[in-house]
Amino acid sequence: MATVKLQDLSKREAKLAYLLLVPSIIILILIAFYPLGSVFYASTTNREFASPRPTEYVGLQNYAKLLGVTVQELPPLEDEATGAIMRDEQGNIVFADAFDVLPRSRQGVRYRNLTEFTLFGTKYVLGATEPAFLRAIGDTIQFTVISVLLETVLGLLIALVLHSHFKGRGALRAVMLIPWAVPTAVSSRMWEWMFASSRVGFFNVIGQQLGLTDGQFPFLTDSGSQIWIMIIIDVWKTTPFMALLLLAGLQMIPTSIYEAARVDGASTIRRFFSMTLPMLKPTMAVALVFRTLDALRVFDLFQIVFGRSRFSMASFSYYQLISNRAMGYSSAASVIIFVIILLFILLYMKVLGGTSHE
Amino acid sequence: MNKSKALVITKKLLFVIVIVYIFIHMTFPFYWAINSSLKSETQVQMQPATMIPRDPQTLEFSPTLQNYQAIFRNITFVRGILNSVFVAVTATVIALVFGSFAAFAMGKLRFRGKTGSLYLILSMTMFPQIAVLSGLYATMRTLNLPVRGFLILSYMLFTLPFTIWVLTSFFKGLPDTLLESGQVDGATPFQTFFFILLPLTAPALVTTGLLAFIAAWNEYLFALTFTSIAPQARTVPVAIALFSGEMAMQEPFGEIMAAAVVVTVPLIILVFVFQRKIISGLTAGAVKG
Repeated sequence: MATVKLQDLSKREAKLAYLLLVPSIIILILIAFYPLGSVFYASTTNREFASPRPTEYVGLQNYAKLLGVTVQELPPLEDEATGAIMRDEQGNIVFADAFDVLPRSRQGVRYRNLTEFTLFGTKYVLGATEPAFLRAIGDTIQFTVISVLLETVLGLLIALVLHSHFKGRGALRAVMLIPWAVPTAVSSRMWEWMFASSRVGFFNVIGQQLGLTDGQFPFLTDSGSQIWIMIIIDVWKTTPFMALLLLAGLQMIPTSIYEAARVDGASTIRRFFSMTLPMLKPTMAVALVFRTLDALRVFDLFQIVFGRSRFSMASFSYYQLISNRAMGYSSAASVIIFVIILLFILLYMKVLGGTSHE
Repeated sequence: MNKSKALVITKKLLFVIVIVYIFIHMTFPFYWAINSSLKSETQVQMQPATMIPRDPQTLEFSPTLQNYQAIFRNITFVRGILNSVFVAVTATVIALVFGSFAAFAMGKLRFRGKTGSLYLILSMTMFPQIAVLSGLYATMRTLNLPVRGFLILSYMLFTLPFTIWVLTSFFKGLPDTLLESGQVDGATPFQTFFFILLPLTAPALVTTGLLAFIAAWNEYLFALTFTSIAPQARTVPVAIALFSGEMAMQEPFGEIMAAAVVVTVPLIILVFVFQRKIISGLTAGAVKG
């Protein structure tokens, strides 16, 4: 009799649990799983918004166009009359123009110049059917690796500072939360203004005073500085998050082991590398994963500061969707981003495997 | 003896310099925004830019509030604030209600598939929004859904899994005896949840609610995309990103900075008042996870 009642009770409990889970499950199906499925499906079509053309199944054509690359040799130009190799005034060999060498892809899309390089004395051109997207992948990964690395190192430094006792510690901790709390849209605008290309901008004023620039340096349009600007802003905004996570990790390390080590005569540096760092590893692993996945899908910063002049992976996909109304093509780009993020997760799981929590 | 004393002092000095540097680095962009927001159009265009608003001729300190007056006359910005308040508050409340339901189930009740659903929720907390962007946008357009409502629904993508995850660990921490004593008293599990456990989770609700609110208030990708066909539904980050002044000659950075300051101030107040709660919520999502 009692067991029957207990069974009844646990059945009732499970029923309540499912009932309580239902709203969340329905919402997540509606806004995550269903749209994810529809994005995968749309990525194999040529669907466009407000287009009279009927939507057709195109297989992997979108992916082929996004990722299509070819390598072609750039032959030296020959003088038509003499057959001799042409040289410019400095005596350098003149090579064929990449545009004349690059063919069309099987779908009839022209390969465009992504980059040129020289290998064993021969000049090659790397052509792509969508150079902007491949560049966006490269830029985003470069941005992610450098900024996450910097954030981790600086975050750890700040966490160590905050871990010691000093006057104004609480104030500093509060101040550090502000960059984190401000919308990226707002902070992007603030930094954009500081990096203005004349001396109305803070950095050009300082640069000129220090004799580093002529006061006209185009930080935001110079292709060499663009990624570094993104990194500077991102590091400013997210190092506090990293520091606070690592600080929480530091605070979980029992102080007694430090005292023991001090008694044993271990130096500060030794204590840091053989005790603090290993014990901080689980926290750091989680923080790294969070930040990397976050940085890979960077959108606000690139879209606001650069618009269409330089893309992150996400802003490329956005512009395809909104400006070109290319639902199918944008979806394919999104799927590729999704896969790249998954690859990073797998990489982390492999590298950090043993230390990940639970 | 003297030498070691000098070493201690240098160390202390270095430490102070580091702290001062961190402080300046973190706050300077805000200072520059405030500085620029108090300048007139002419002052903003002065070269070299001045560290405080100065009169172009006499170089005397002369701030102006005209940018602030301008942005509060700017209907896009004011509407943006109202939209943001509505969207972020509603999204937070819905996420807390459904999130606490689910978290109670996962933290305190026994049922089949619990571990699986926990892992699912954890992986959802890192779900990239861009992966569903075109799908959601297509749904909204084909069904002609109201943009603000759809924004609220789509914000569940990041607020709901996060809320569930943090609250679950909180519910787990509450003693099981509470549930049992409730049962002995003849209360249904739901009554126990609603009248006994939920009040106990109030601090955790505040923390997660705050973080969900900030995330929703700051969200940009969905807001920008979904309001592209409905400018009157733009939230404040979108309004600031697309800001155009009363006279659209060039980008009115004085006004943009004023808008940035206005949006930042409430967040700064939130951060200072709830500092501890925010930090514990942030780290609960990651460290204890």
